[in-house]
Amino acid sequence: MADLSINLAGIKSPNPFWLASAPPTNTGYQVQRAFEAGWGGAVWKTLGDPIINTSSRFAAVNFNGQRVAGFNNIELITDRPLDVNLKEIYETKKRFPNHAVVASLMVEPKQEKWHEIVKRVEDVGVDGLELNFGCPHGMAERGMGAASGQQPDLVEAQTYWVKEVAKTPVIVKLTPNITDITVTARHAVKGGADAISLINTINSLAGVDIHTWNTVPHIGGKGAHGGYCGPAVKPIALNMVAECARHPEVTVPISGIGGISTWQDVVEFMLMGSTAIQVCTAAMHHGFRIVEEMIDGLNNYLDEKGLASVTELTGKSVSKYSNWGDLNLNYKVVARINEENCINCNKCHIACEDTSHQCIDMLTNADGKAILKVREEDCVGCNLCSIVCPAEGAIDMVEIDSGLPPMTWNERQQVVGGLSGAYSKAEVV
Amino acid sequence: MSAYDDFAKEKQDIDDLLARGYTVAGMLETLDGAKVKFDEAKPGSGSVELLLLTADARKYVTTLVFAGLEKAQ
Ligand SMILES: Cc1cc2nc3c(=O)[nH]c(=O)nc-3n(C[C@H](O)[C@H](O)[C@H](O)COP(=O)(O)O)c2cc1C
Ligand code: SF4
Ligand code: SF4
Repeated sequence: MADLSINLAGIKSPNPFWLASAPPTNTGYQVQRAFEAGWGGAVWKTLGDPIINTSSRFAAVNFNGQRVAGFNNIELITDRPLDVNLKEIYETKKRFPNHAVVASLMVEPKQEKWHEIVKRVEDVGVDGLELNFGCPHGMAERGMGAASGQQPDLVEAQTYWVKEVAKTPVIVKLTPNITDITVTARHAVKGGADAISLINTINSLAGVDIHTWNTVPHIGGKGAHGGYCGPAVKPIALNMVAECARHPEVTVPISGIGGISTWQDVVEFMLMGSTAIQVCTAAMHHGFRIVEEMIDGLNNYLDEKGLASVTELTGKSVSKYSNWGDLNLNYKVVARINEENCINCNKCHIACEDTSHQCIDMLTNADGKAILKVREEDCVGCNLCSIVCPAEGAIDMVEIDSGLPPMTWNERQQVVGGLSGAYSKAEVV
Repeated sequence: MSAYDDFAKEKQDIDDLLARGYTVAGMLETLDGAKVKFDEAKPGSGSVELLLLTADARKYVTTLVFAGLEKAQ
């Protein structure tokens, strides 16, 4: 069995599965039950000046029968006094000395505020700190969370203030509500961050009730924007993690967060540069025991791959994530339909005919049976037909030798640049 | 409707010129396609211009130049 233990910038945990700062980590009771269930670490529900929450604070987006494809919340940070949380953190750490207990923090962007909370939290023996620069609602209206996390200079300054007094590793949690997350990631590193975690939730409105015209959720007839998470945000989170991982100035380890529900998701986030991962929505949807399947699945996968340690996964796909201009334009795939698996639903034909390149023909074979056939020379290999096909194994995307050597867009543009001289001269004359 | 036929025709035109000793001498990409200027091997014997419309032909001709394959055609 492979070694699942990890070390994120000096924070050790028996496995890479951490609960993210959110309702599952609200109390000592919950975090201790989570550790008993198998979670390796927990980032405590964000500590700061205790807030007051609204009733009716979550909503979910269900999609075609899949419940909680996305999850939306307007919850703020902890509503419990700091002292109460610290006592429970202390007790939790005493019971689980080898698990990672990280305190998430959010205060006003003032040096003395950060110094005060860091000292008090570290006194009870946390393994690390996570600075919540990401909460997109409520706290942001008060100048905290995403409001300070969207300003690179404030990210840097606040990280710096924390590092002035912190004795434990400092993770900076980034907001995705920004055009280029590598900018704030770089400023966190400049401020002295030991690691970054991403993503926090994405600005969202879960829906509008078309009968009452109220927002979903609504608070007595009024709503406010919330934060989106769960499976729907995974591709966004994965890209942001990958962009940070491949940026030469983002030199610190990454804790990946956003839509992680299965062990396969965990593997993907680790391959794209995460040292550890965090989960919120999947635990809220299915309970703490979801981690059992994640641990089993990851263990089996590592054994199958012949890997002795989970740490061997970290970053293995980062170099494969490139810029569009560096992709080979002469690489070619085409769609091929396997008659034996096809159920003749015609979805591929409709998709290609209406919205792609009109190259799936409806034919009749020698036995008089209706079949579909791709005109491979006209197929651009867009993948659409295989995406919409409901029958497993009915469409394969197969690699074709284009007969041409590899050439990227950037390489092509150099050629074009060299050749355009002849035209500019001719036109000047 | 066959996009491949459109490309095949343009590719044939390119290959024919190269087979007759022409080389790619200039290229100008415009909103209406790529103008490609072919010079004949013998100096002073003039040049021919093709307006390539298909993406595959525009890719093909630059691949030949990029890989130094145009003379081998
Ligand atoms: C109800 C709820 C409350 C949350 N509260 C916090 C919080 O207090 N501090 C924080 O840093 N993130 C908070 N988050 C964000 C999560 O920690 C996490 O970044 C986000 O949900 C993405 O992960 P997921 O897709 O696994 O849910 C909260 C999320 C939810 C759903
Ligand atoms: S891959 Fe795209 S172009 Fe090719 S057959 Fe499928 S839908 Fe049509
Ligand atoms: S979508 Fe799939 S199952 Fe339906 S006709 Fe096309 S290949 Fe067959």
